[in-house]
Amino acid sequence: MAVRSQAALRERTKSERKKRMWRNRWIYVMILPGLLYFLIFKYVPMFGLVISFQDYKPFKGILGSEWVGFEHFERLFTMPDFWQILSNTLILFGMNLVFYFPVPIILALMLNEVRTAFFKKFFQSLVYLPHFMSWVIIVSIGYVMLTMDGGIINELLVMLGLPKINFLLSPEWFRPTYIVQVIWREAGWGTIIYLAAIASIDPQLYEAARMDGAGRLRQIWHITLPAIRSVIVVLLILKIGDVLELGFEHVYLLLNSMNRNVAEIIDTYVYTAGLRQMQFSYSAAVGFFKSAVGLVLVMVANRLAKRFGEEGIY
Amino acid sequence: MVEDRTFGGRLFSIVNFALLAVIALVTVLPFVHVVAGSFTTNAEIAAKKFILVPTVWSTEAYRFIFSTPTIFRAMAVSIGVTLVGTLFSMLITSLMAYGLSRRDLDGRRGLMFLVVFTMLFSGGMIPTFLVVKELGLIDTYAALILPSAITAFNMIILKNFFQNIPEGLEESAKIDGCHDFGILFRIVLPLSMPAIATISLFYAVTYWNTYMNAILYLNKSEMWPIQVLLRQIVVLASGMDYSSNLDSAVPPPEQSVKMAVIVVATLPILLVYPFLQKHFAKGAMLGSIKG
Amino acid sequence: MNRKPLSLALCTATALAMLLGACATGGSNNASPSASGGAAPSGASPSASAEAPADEKPTEITIMLPLNTAETPPDRIKTEVEKLTNTKLTYQFFPADTYEEKLNSSFATGTLPQVTYLKNSTTFLLMREAIKDGQFWEIGPYLSEFPNLSKLKPEILDNTKVEGKLYSLYIGRPLARQGIIYRKDWADKLGIQPPANVDELFEMAKAFTEKDPDGNGQADTIGIVDRNELVYGAFKTVSAWFGTPNYWGEQDGKLLPEFMFPQYVETMDFFKKLRDGGYMNQDFAATSKTDAVKMFTSGKAGIYIGGSMQDIDSLNKDLIKNVPEAVLDVHSMVAGPDGELRQWMIPGYNNVILFPKTAVKDEAELKKILAFFDKMMTPEVANLMYWGIEGVHYTVVDGKAKVSDDKELVEREVKGYKDSVIGEAATNGMYESLNELPGRIHAEQLIVENEKIGVKDPTAALDSATYAEKGVELQQIMTDATYQYIYGQIDKAGFDKAIERWKKDGGDNIIEEFNAARQ
Repeated sequence: MAVRSQAALRERTKSERKKRMWRNRWIYVMILPGLLYFLIFKYVPMFGLVISFQDYKPFKGILGSEWVGFEHFERLFTMPDFWQILSNTLILFGMNLVFYFPVPIILALMLNEVRTAFFKKFFQSLVYLPHFMSWVIIVSIGYVMLTMDGGIINELLVMLGLPKINFLLSPEWFRPTYIVQVIWREAGWGTIIYLAAIASIDPQLYEAARMDGAGRLRQIWHITLPAIRSVIVVLLILKIGDVLELGFEHVYLLLNSMNRNVAEIIDTYVYTAGLRQMQFSYSAAVGFFKSAVGLVLVMVANRLAKRFGEEGIY
Repeated sequence: MVEDRTFGGRLFSIVNFALLAVIALVTVLPFVHVVAGSFTTNAEIAAKKFILVPTVWSTEAYRFIFSTPTIFRAMAVSIGVTLVGTLFSMLITSLMAYGLSRRDLDGRRGLMFLVVFTMLFSGGMIPTFLVVKELGLIDTYAALILPSAITAFNMIILKNFFQNIPEGLEESAKIDGCHDFGILFRIVLPLSMPAIATISLFYAVTYWNTYMNAILYLNKSEMWPIQVLLRQIVVLASGMDYSSNLDSAVPPPEQSVKMAVIVVATLPILLVYPFLQKHFAKGAMLGSIKG
Repeated sequence: MNRKPLSLALCTATALAMLLGACATGGSNNASPSASGGAAPSGASPSASAEAPADEKPTEITIMLPLNTAETPPDRIKTEVEKLTNTKLTYQFFPADTYEEKLNSSFATGTLPQVTYLKNSTTFLLMREAIKDGQFWEIGPYLSEFPNLSKLKPEILDNTKVEGKLYSLYIGRPLARQGIIYRKDWADKLGIQPPANVDELFEMAKAFTEKDPDGNGQADTIGIVDRNELVYGAFKTVSAWFGTPNYWGEQDGKLLPEFMFPQYVETMDFFKKLRDGGYMNQDFAATSKTDAVKMFTSGKAGIYIGGSMQDIDSLNKDLIKNVPEAVLDVHSMVAGPDGELRQWMIPGYNNVILFPKTAVKDEAELKKILAFFDKMMTPEVANLMYWGIEGVHYTVVDGKAKVSDDKELVEREVKGYKDSVIGEAATNGMYESLNELPGRIHAEQLIVENEKIGVKDPTAALDSATYAEKGVELQQIMTDATYQYIYGQIDKAGFDKAIERWKKDGGDNIIEEFNAARQ
C-alpha cells in the first residue's frame, strides 16, 4: 500500500516535472547558445587533460603518446621544495583574501558615500585607472620607488636619517611589496561590481532608515552591506577557487634569486620547470592538481554558503 | 537625496572625501608619469627618476607611432572586435544567466556546476587550438570572439544580479501574458542596468585586451588588434625577454615611444567607463516601478 | 518615468536580436573563405605547381619567423626579394616574446609552414627530440648542390647538428662580442688606463665610485652597472676573464660544469667585493636591462658590461644628450689572475631554420626552398634583406654600408628582415656596416681579436637527456646560489651544498651523459 502510493507520488512529481519543463521550454532555448559555447570551446578541448597521465610528445599526438599514469604527479609531490612552494602559494593567497579582498568593498562603500555626483564619478574614474597598466609597467614603477640605487623611498629614508632598506632583494619585503601592488592595481577596478550592486538598492530603504534617525554608518551597516552580501559571497567563493592561481606574471616579475624561498609559487615553478622546457605533460599535471584543489575548495565554500542561507554559485 | 546636516554626518563626509582624494592621487600618479614620459625625450626619461612634468617637451614619440597606418589599423580592429564581441557576449550571457536565474528550472544546479567546472579545469592551449581550427575559424575575426564568448565569472555574477530581482515582478508579467523573452528584455534587463553596464565593461576590457588568441589564431599580422602592438613595444622596450636579448640586430624602441603607445592603446577603453557610469544611477528605477 | 526604461529595453532587445542574426551570418561568411585559407600554406603549392611550367612559375614559400621590431615590415623589401629569387613569399611574423607558444601550438597541431625559424639556441635545444624523431627534413646531403649554401661555416654547422646530422640553416653572429663599455672621459680625467687585468678592472670601478669622476662634488657615481642576468650581464664575461670554462670545462679528462671550477668562485668573490664596496649597483640582482641602461645613460655609472660591445652606439646616443661631454670607449682584453687572456664564445649562430615534413611534402619542394636560401646567400639578396634598397635605405661608402639618415624608414621597412638573413657577412658577402663612432670602430676590431682567444662550450653539440628535461630547473639552483654568495647570504660551504643538491637532483646524470656523449 505504502509502496504503491509512493510510486504514485513519484509518478505524479515526474509528470509535474515534465509539465514544468515544458512550460519552461523557452528558458531552455535561452540557455542553449551559452551551453553550446561551453560544450564546444570548454568541454571538447578538455580531452587535453589526459596528457597529464601521458608522456606527451607533440609530434606523436595524444593518441600516440605513451601512458605513464601518475608519474608526473609523483614528480611534483616528491620535489624537494614542494611543500615550501605550496606554502608560499597558500600564504600569498591568504594575504590576498585578508588584505586585498575587503579593500574594494570598503572603497566602494566610501565612493557611495560621496554625495556630489561629479566627485563620485571623478574619484571612481581615477581609482580604476591602474588596472589598465600591465604588470610590467607596475613592477618597473615599483623598482624606481624601491631600489637602493637612488630609489625614491630609500632616498627619503636617508633624508630622515634612517638606514636604507633592501626592499627588492630581501625575502621579508617580498610579500608586502606584492600585496601593496595588488591592492594598488586592482582595488579600484574591484569596486565596480560592488557599485553596481549598491546602485540596485531601493532608495526608499534609505529614506525609511533616515526617518528612523539612522546615521550614515548605521545605514551602511544595516542597508548597504546586507544588500550586497550575496555579491560578496559569490565573489568570495570564486576567489577561493583561484587559491593556487595567483597572477603568474606579477610574481614572476618580482621574483629573483634572493627572494625565491618566499616568492616561488606553483605557477612560476611550472613556468621554469615545465613550459620553458616543453614539458607539456608535467605542466598539465601541475595544472590538474591546481584545478582539483580549487574544485574541492569551491565545493566546500559553496556548501558552507548554502548552510548560511546564501544562494551559492551552483 | 538629502544631505544630512548633523555634525557627525558632515565630519564623515569630510574625512571620506579627504581619504578618497589621497587614494585617487596615489592611483593617478603613475598614469601621469606615463603620460609625461610620452611627451618628452628618451634622454630625459633616462636622466630623471620619476618624471611627472617634462622639462623638455616633445611630441616626437606620437609623431613616430602615428607615422605608419599600423596603429590606426590595429585600433580599428580592436574597436570593431570589442564592439561586436561585447554585444554578442552580452546577448548570449544574459540569455543564459536569465535562464539559470529561474529558480523553477529543472537541472539548474547541474548546469551551473557545469559552468563553474570550466573555471577550474581547462584542456589547455593546444586542444582549444584544434577546436578553433576544425571550426574553420583560423584567420577570421570570429576566432577572437567565439572562443571567449562567455566568461563563466561574468555569467555567474549576472545571474546573481538577476536573481535579486523580486520574483513577484516576473510573476505578474507572466500573468499579464508576457513571454519569457519579453520578461527578460522588458523587465529583467531594464531593471539590471547597473549590472548590464558592469558586465559589458568587463567584456569590453577582455576583448580590448585580446592578445594570445590573436597570436594563435591569426597568421596575418594586418589583422592583429592593438594589444599585440602594445605588448610588443612594451616588452621590447623593457628588455624583459631574456632569451632573445642575446642578439637581435635591432635596438629596442625608445622609452618615450613605449609610453606613447601605452597612452594611445589605453585611452579608448578608459573612455568606456565614464560613458557607462550614468547607468549606475538607474537603481532608482526599481523603486519607481514598484511604487 | 515608467515609459522610458521600457522603450529602451525594447530597443535593446531588437538591437540584440538583429545582432544575433548579423553575427550568425557574419560568422559563416567569415568562416568559409578561412577554411580554404587555412589549408592554403600546405595544400596550395603542389596543386599550383601542376598548372604552369615549373621553371617560370615562382616558388611559393610560407615562412614563419619571430618579430623583433614593433611592427611587421611592409612588403617593399619582400617584393624586391621575390623578383630576385623568383618566389612568391608569405612571411608570417609573430612576436618574439610569445614565439615559443605559437611554435608549440603550430607544431602540435601540424600547422607549421614550410620554413620555420626558431627563436634562439635554447628553443633549438627543445626541438631536438622532435628532430630526432624525424619531424624535419635532414638537409645535410643536399647542401653540396647549392654553391652558396655550401659556403656556410662548417664549424658553426657542426654546432647545429643533431646526432651528427644537419637539419638546419643558421643565422650567424660574431662569436665573441662581449667586453666593457666605459666612460673614457672619466678614465682620462682620473688618469686611468683601460684595465689590463681583473685587478685593474676592480680599481677602475673603485675609482669611478670614489674619486668623483663627474666632478660635481657629490658621491653620486658608481663603477659598474649590472643587471639580473648571469649570462648576458656582467658575470659570465668577467668569469671568462678569470679563466672559468664556458659552461663546461675539462678537469682530469672529465667534463664538469663551470661552477665546479675554482675560477668561478674567484669571480663570485670579485663581484662580492665590488658590491660590498659599493662599486656596483646594489640591486643588480633585481635590475632589468632597461634600468641598467638607464643608469648608464643618465651619467651615473662608469662601466657597462652586458651583451655586446656593439651596444655602444645606442648607449652613446642617449648618454650624450644628458652629458654632452661624455666619451665612450670599449675594451675587452682583460687578463685573468694568471695573466692569460680569454673570452667566452657563443656557438656562432643566433637562430636556425627548420623545414617541417608536415608542410614540405617532397624532396623536389625542399630543393626549391633550399634554392631560395641559396639565393639569399648572394650579396645582392643578403644586402637587400639586411640593409634594404641601396640609395633608399643605405648607401655604400668605402665598400661599407652607411645606413640612411631616415632612421624611421629603415626601422619600418628593413629591420624586420634583418634577423632572418642566413650566414654572416663573411659567407653571404653582404656589406659590413660603416661605423662612425670611434668606440664602435674599436668594438669591431676587438670582436675580431676576441675570437682569437675564444673559449668554446665543449657541450654545444652534445646530447644529454637529463639536461633536456631538467636543465633549466637545475641551472636555477646554481644561479640562485651564485647570487646568494655574491650577496653574502651563503658562504663557500653553502655554495658547495647547492652544488651537491644540483648533482643529486640530476646534475650527476648530466655530467655522466655529456661525458658519455663525448666518447
